[in-house]
Amino acid sequence: MNGFLVAKVLSFITGIVSVSMIWPILWAHLDGGGEVRSFVVSMVLGLTFSGLLFAAGRHHSDYKSVGIRDAFAVVSLSWVFASVIGALPYYIYGMTPTFTDAFFEAMSGFTTTGASILTDIEIHPKSLLFWRGMTHWIGGMGIIVLSLAILPFIGVGGVHLFKAEVPGFGLEKITPRLHQMATRLWGIYFGLTAAQTLLLLLGGVNLFEALTHSFSTIATGGLSPLNKSISHYNSPYVEWVTTFFMFFSGVNFVLHYRFLLRQPGAYRGDEEFRLYTAIVLFSILFTAAVLLSGGYYGSIEETVRYSAFQVVSVITSTGFFTADYELWPVSVHFLFILLMFAGGCTGSTAGGIKSLRVLALARHARAGLASCLHPQGLFQIKIRGKTASSNAVASVTAFFILYLVVFIAGTLFMAALGVDFVTAVSSAAASIGNTGPGFGTVGPTDNFFHIPAAGKWVLSFLMLLGRLELYTMILLFARGTWKK
Amino acid sequence: MAWPLGWAAWDGSDDISAFLLSIAAGLAVSAVLFLAGKNADYENLGVKDGFLVVSLAWIGASLIGALPFYFGGTVPTFADAFFESSSGFTTTGASVLSDIEAVPRGILFWRSLTHWLGGMGIIVLSLAILPFLRIGGMELFKAEVPGPIPEKITPRIQQTALYLWGVYAFLTAAETALLLLGGMNLFEALTHTFGTVATGGFSPLNRSVGQYGSAYFDWIITVFMFLSGVNFVLHYRMLRMDFRPLARDEEFRLYLWIVLGCTAVVTAVLLFGGRYGSITEAVRHSAFQVVSIITTTGFVTADFELWPLLTRVILLLLMFAGACAGSTGGGMKILRLLILGRHTRAELKRVLHPSAVVSIKVGGKAVNEGILSSVTSFLILYVAVFVGGVFFITSIGMDMESAISGVAATLGNVGPGLGSLGPTDNYGSVPEAGKWAFSFLMLTGRLELYTMILLFLPETWRK
Repeated sequence: MNGFLVAKVLSFITGIVSVSMIWPILWAHLDGGGEVRSFVVSMVLGLTFSGLLFAAGRHHSDYKSVGIRDAFAVVSLSWVFASVIGALPYYIYGMTPTFTDAFFEAMSGFTTTGASILTDIEIHPKSLLFWRGMTHWIGGMGIIVLSLAILPFIGVGGVHLFKAEVPGFGLEKITPRLHQMATRLWGIYFGLTAAQTLLLLLGGVNLFEALTHSFSTIATGGLSPLNKSISHYNSPYVEWVTTFFMFFSGVNFVLHYRFLLRQPGAYRGDEEFRLYTAIVLFSILFTAAVLLSGGYYGSIEETVRYSAFQVVSVITSTGFFTADYELWPVSVHFLFILLMFAGGCTGSTAGGIKSLRVLALARHARAGLASCLHPQGLFQIKIRGKTASSNAVASVTAFFILYLVVFIAGTLFMAALGVDFVTAVSSAAASIGNTGPGFGTVGPTDNFFHIPAAGKWVLSFLMLLGRLELYTMILLFARGTWKK
Repeated sequence: MAWPLGWAAWDGSDDISAFLLSIAAGLAVSAVLFLAGKNADYENLGVKDGFLVVSLAWIGASLIGALPFYFGGTVPTFADAFFESSSGFTTTGASVLSDIEAVPRGILFWRSLTHWLGGMGIIVLSLAILPFLRIGGMELFKAEVPGPIPEKITPRIQQTALYLWGVYAFLTAAETALLLLGGMNLFEALTHTFGTVATGGFSPLNRSVGQYGSAYFDWIITVFMFLSGVNFVLHYRMLRMDFRPLARDEEFRLYLWIVLGCTAVVTAVLLFGGRYGSITEAVRHSAFQVVSIITTTGFVTADFELWPLLTRVILLLLMFAGACAGSTGGGMKILRLLILGRHTRAELKRVLHPSAVVSIKVGGKAVNEGILSSVTSFLILYVAVFVGGVFFITSIGMDMESAISGVAATLGNVGPGLGSLGPTDNYGSVPEAGKWAFSFLMLTGRLELYTMILLFLPETWRK
């Protein structure tokens, strides 16, 4: 365990987060509001902290000695420190009454969850809301690198064993390649953001809202500067554009990369993408059918539009809404909770268990049924054309069990705090799945302000756990990690 | 059905004709099936046949067992009758009856008898009889428990069945005697005992065991419910004065821990919320409900719908956990939880030491890959069936809490759920399609998923 090296890496990350506050400062300056001071103070505090960390690790640069435990520490602490620093503007300015609320909002930002404690969003200065959107965007960038480069190195949750080959990169040495890979993926990330912003501007959305919504979409976060989220616009154009970008933000970024390398069949050649798309289509059909038979909306177009938006929003764990789906039938609520668990694709900014694991689990169960009829036969499954080793399958099943355990623990805790059944279950599911809004008293038109403080800390912790694919955080607390 | 017929005659009530009719119909069906299979070769029983026999046996029993309810007019529709009957044979204990005490005692006795019969598995019952007909038995026993099998106590299945049956009869007799000693009348003592040892939960009283308000009865039944959730092989050993297997059994230890732990937490929460005056009362009611739910019995002595949400979530989770393998309890079974827990821990170790060879052990023996795969795929299937069930139930209009708990309670063979299917409610007002769905879930859960699911796969029917 190389603590000094960890500190040095963390100093870079906290430094980047602090320096990013330059943008909201500029915005505040243009707006002429008093928030400038809050941001400056926050930035100074952040940079001081960063400086201290750098000082601790300044003599160490042997990056080759970075081990698994160091990786855990860096990953987990990055998000925690970022959230602490990111919370400072909210707290210092007074956008949130307590530090608990500020931390919750910042964590919700960086983990691209999108749950908010704000009861009235629009009364707050644009610079703070812009910072809110930025925390999503920065968090999303971190996720892309995390899931495509760092986690495979750590070997977490089985996904690395079914990895999609990144053209031009082997995965032997991570350090030299990491830099190149990250740059290209961020390029795609940046490109998607720019594209969506442009399309929204073309649709008549102002720059501030176009930017913050794009930040939120590509990071599949869900925080909006508007109280009524995307429903505010009442515009089919905006809704379809957002749906499109949410969907593709939930797709493996490696596929985007391949597509841009002139491989037109990149998407449909990937099993995970096909399952993801199938789930989305089925869910839209089911939802639309249920809504139509219940006479919820006047036209088919409206019904399909609202169904598509909400389904894609929930499965990609974004959390925008264009309709108060709490008024929709219970079967749709349950479907949405399932989608929160299922999640998007690996290698994207979406949360949840991820389609690739769902695929592996389903095939494993089917193999189980087959082996009942043929007890002498082999219990093997294929993923992405290759036979999955028993290690790989074991990894995925263990991840699934852990996910359920964490979800159950979260639900128990929330229940102990006195919230109702639906709120307890859905808030736990939505936090660990990084979706954002749940049901009950934390539905799309509600917020998390009324949750007891202890609950906010627990949900923040769940958001972090879910975002970092469980193991990273859990192993940080396990005794075995720290033994020599 | 001769027993309830006897009771009905004793009572002199009008359900006699219902039973006579049912017996006649049942025998007729038996005869037809027997004639159809007259020339079959019993030695050739394969795995597929084993699965088919088990699932069709339970379905068949449920169908015939439904007749008295239907002919007797106890319930309005056949869906209700089948629900009640399958709830009996799968030892679930969910009921569509809104006023149980208005039903003739003959019918009620039949209801509880279906529990008792179902409890030991009609197959095991038949294992004592079928060997005379020279049917290969091992496949069938495998079909009854496709999951992890506890060690066999005797080499021959017939003897195994007889001994398990003996333990079962012993527990039945012991509890009945103790209840009678406490002042319960014979009818209620028998029916409650049937409901206990089979971990079923049907009571002839509207307010279940809670009606007595008696600490003596509550604790007797709690103890026997607990025992009925233990692996019967361990009971067999104990009856031969060998207590070592019990002390060493890891599944039993985990089961005991969970029961004690949950009782403690629930007691604390209840006392904290001021629900009960004294500690003894709180402990008594916590213990009863916790044991009742984890063993998937389903008797109630308190309306836990009025309890704080945390206790209800705990009870809901216990429905999934279930009792020990080799008992009459339902749910996923503690042994599987034990294996899954160790598997997850092993995986966490492996992340830190990728090249290490980590194997998991239960009871000192290594769990091989095949068994582990079976258990993990069972978990996935259980979740999938649960999800499918909730989907269906919410689609026909039930609210989230009732749907989730109803599916959990039927799949786990518990009985009462939460919401509108709580301890003081019944399944009577569920839409008809829902009743069929719940019946299907009860059967699927009781037969450890695979047996029922395989019925629907085309592969099973191909040669």
